Amino acid sequence: MISRRKFLSAVLSLAAGWPLFRPSLSWGSPFPQFYFTQIKYRGGEWDPNPLYAEAMVEELELRTSIDASKERRVKELSDPDLFFSPFLYMAGRYEFDPFTEQERETLRRFLTYGGFLFAEDTVGAKGFGFDRAFRKEMQEILPDHDMKRLPPDHAVYQSFYLIGSLGGRQIVNPYLEGITINRWTAVMYSQNDLSGAWSRDRYGKWINDCLPGGDFQRKAAFKTGINIIVYSLTSDYKKDLIHHPFIRRRQNV
Amino acid sequence: MNPASISITPVLPLWIMIPLFCLACALAAAQYGATRKTLDKSRAFILSFLRLLALSLILVFALNPSLVTRKEQRISPAIAIVVDTSQSMGQAVPGENVTRLDEAMAFLRGGASPLLTAMKENFDVSVYGLADSLRPLEAGDLDLLKAGGGKGDVNGTLERLRWKNAVAVFLSDGNLRWNESAEPRFPVITVPMGNPKDYRDILIRGVKAPSLAFRDREAIMDVTIRSYGYEGSTLPVLLKDSERLLAAREISIQDDTEETTVSLSFTPSEVGMKNLSIAVPPQVGESIVGNNEINLSIHVIRDKTRILMVSGTPSMNYRFMRAALKDDPSVDLLSFVILRSPSDILNVPTQEQSLIPFPVETLFSKELTNFDLVIFDDFSYPLFLTPDHLESIRNFVKGGGGFAIIGGPHVFHEGREGLSQMADLLPFRFVERESYRRDSPVRVKLSQEGAEHPMMRLSDDLSGGESDPFLFWQEMPPLDGINPVEAKRSSVVLLESGKGIPWPILMLSDYGKGRVLALATDCSWQWTMGMVARGKGNQAYLRLVHRMVRWLTHDPGLDAVQILLPEEGASAGQETDVRIQFHGKDWTKGADPAVLFSVVNPGGASIESKLKPASHPGEYLLSFLPKEGGIYRIRVETPVGHLEEPMVVAGPFESFDAAPDHDQLKKIAAVTGGKYLSRGDDLLKAVEGYARKMERRFIEEKRLPIWATPLMMAIVLGLVSSEWYLRRRWGLL
Repeated sequence: MISRRKFLSAVLSLAAGWPLFRPSLSWGSPFPQFYFTQIKYRGGEWDPNPLYAEAMVEELELRTSIDASKERRVKELSDPDLFFSPFLYMAGRYEFDPFTEQERETLRRFLTYGGFLFAEDTVGAKGFGFDRAFRKEMQEILPDHDMKRLPPDHAVYQSFYLIGSLGGRQIVNPYLEGITINRWTAVMYSQNDLSGAWSRDRYGKWINDCLPGGDFQRKAAFKTGINIIVYSLTSDYKKDLIHHPFIRRRQNV
Repeated sequence: MNPASISITPVLPLWIMIPLFCLACALAAAQYGATRKTLDKSRAFILSFLRLLALSLILVFALNPSLVTRKEQRISPAIAIVVDTSQSMGQAVPGENVTRLDEAMAFLRGGASPLLTAMKENFDVSVYGLADSLRPLEAGDLDLLKAGGGKGDVNGTLERLRWKNAVAVFLSDGNLRWNESAEPRFPVITVPMGNPKDYRDILIRGVKAPSLAFRDREAIMDVTIRSYGYEGSTLPVLLKDSERLLAAREISIQDDTEETTVSLSFTPSEVGMKNLSIAVPPQVGESIVGNNEINLSIHVIRDKTRILMVSGTPSMNYRFMRAALKDDPSVDLLSFVILRSPSDILNVPTQEQSLIPFPVETLFSKELTNFDLVIFDDFSYPLFLTPDHLESIRNFVKGGGGFAIIGGPHVFHEGREGLSQMADLLPFRFVERESYRRDSPVRVKLSQEGAEHPMMRLSDDLSGGESDPFLFWQEMPPLDGINPVEAKRSSVVLLESGKGIPWPILMLSDYGKGRVLALATDCSWQWTMGMVARGKGNQAYLRLVHRMVRWLTHDPGLDAVQILLPEEGASAGQETDVRIQFHGKDWTKGADPAVLFSVVNPGGASIESKLKPASHPGEYLLSFLPKEGGIYRIRVETPVGHLEEPMVVAGPFESFDAAPDHDQLKKIAAVTGGKYLSRGDDLLKAVEGYARKMERRFIEEKRLPIWATPLMMAIVLGLVSSEWYLRRRWGLL
């Protein structure tokens, strides 16, 4: 189903004789296996990069076999449909209001039983704002599991691309952090503002510059995003023994 | 008899008796004075004397005098003669045309003056037969005595006999059960039967074999062999599967007094019950050839269930199913996910990709038989597999492999054209103009067959204490997407959509020796997260996946009918009970029971058996009497298939060691303080020796009350009558 915004864009574009949207893009799969579900929370700013999904999903569909939907879904933590989200996304710039106990319990159950959350501090200020509030919440929700730097041989760096360096609008950390529960990294966290690098306006123009690496850094951000999404759908599949010789050969190990 | 004596036990105390006697004297004196007036002195004295005598006698009677006689008595000693009637006593004595039991009978009853008769004249003799139990034998029983049964228990026998008997005589070949340290002990005279020196036999005493073996892994069994009279010989030991030789070893008998152990091994290549036999070919001069072979069954299982899973795309269904399979330690999962389709564009050089080539040829042409189960998860396989590969899959399933196809937009939508190549394998057909749909969430319901199928037996606690499986599945979260298909008549639908057209969701079917499962949705993972959203756990989903795998790989634990063999084994000639359990539908119920039971003997003939209900519902006992040893087959046939379980029944001579064990008899005699009787020794004399020691005597005492005798009464009457007569004569009356 085409969205009203797309439909109006197409009509206006055709009327103006100028492609306002990229004609090469598909509308997304009718039966998506993947879509972003973004958490809407209280306080702070829950949606710092509202236009990140479309470009990322286009890239995902172009490069992988994953059927994805460009339409992100927005849900509050009290929404029971949250449990059917394949990929929970949470972003922010500032400190947000603490979750209620009910919200924490919901997120705890979601993550403990196989759900996936990718969170981003789009400012990248360590120990301040969103970073401080998110880490505190994770400590409350999963007190027995620490947020740790994901090692270079983690499956997320090999799930589709062999990633040597991370991208993002900024490079605050050259690594991802995560909380791993029984071999499954249920929470991944970045302060590089990946979604900022993915964001593109309706005219196809990148909204943010990627500094200091520019276009290379943006491409790396897309590759990182694809790897995170593929990890969320395949888990540590690339750690299976059959992949080892291929990956080691390509990494010249 | 000792001289008699008189004892007095007065009925009145002496202080009464003495005054009474004085009174009697006074009365006599008074009478004397009275009669003196009319009679002369002598006559008055006679009358008074007679009166005094009569009164004195009456007083003497009050003293209760008794005549005591004592006699020494002798008790005849009790002797128990125990004749060993166990199976080994039926063996022939080398060089003689009699059995050991015949030899024992001849020992007791043979000759001009039979020993048994002579013993009965001197002793209280009881004869017993001893095999599995001790039983008294009457004279008539001895003529009908036959050897049979297990080894007799010496300790139990002595416990029973010790209270009455002075000595026990055992006529045996020494094949007895005997615990040297156990009580009680009383003299046992052992009389050996049989001739150990001339006995020749080879037997397989035992086999240490695992009851479970893993496919493609060496299974080792230790065979213990005992021989008598074959010292210096070299003997072959053979391991066979029916008539096929699996392994052979040679053993050299260095010393006849020692057992020899040899290891045999084989590597099973197929799962299931393996019926094996271990044998030493019969040798010249052997007493028993039936103990040269042992049958045994080994259950061959997989060490791990090897699963090949191919997923058409990264998806939640793949991730959750992978997690469930990885959660099972008995599963060895090899999975491939199609991360990129041919139309996808790669923007990086190869060394920056983690993608590996999908080894189609290797997997589906060469390695397929190394797997137990193949799962296609939303996999549009016509794009990747050739008709030859599909043929390989069909053959793989026909040969006993498992195949599961999981739905999704790719496999039943894009790939439906290609599915026709696998049409005969799959448990469903496509429905015209129907393709994968995600229009509205679909609830599932359990079918009647599903409620009875063991695969769907998720434990009650998973439903929060709700025992109704229908309600449990109704409460399962709805599925976002399904593939509308039509189940074949030959398939069994376990789950179907709840509203509108009942589309089958979970279907099963058999194909050749293999099994096929179809799950017409790619959203089964929602059963996990839906339950989690309701505050429950993910156990129901994990269990369902595990049970799917177990059913597809022929796990016997998930068979609708199970045959449980007796743990203690079975022996020829003994009534045997086999437990039959129905999980789900009990096919014996109803007006027209749709189940057939049969027991087939090693010769292939069906033998008589009886079915009776056991203590639990759906459980039965199938009883039959195996007359011979070997592999019996228990068959249960139901409308949904048949089950056959082989059962090893030990033959009458399996592991049977009949060698005379005279050393054991010597030991029994020595420990109990008895005697081992060699040939030529006189049993009667030996028994007398023990009997004399144990002879018992006692004094018999008899008392005869004197006053109660008629003579005494006559004397009293005589005295009184004489006095009356004289009085009359002398004119006093």
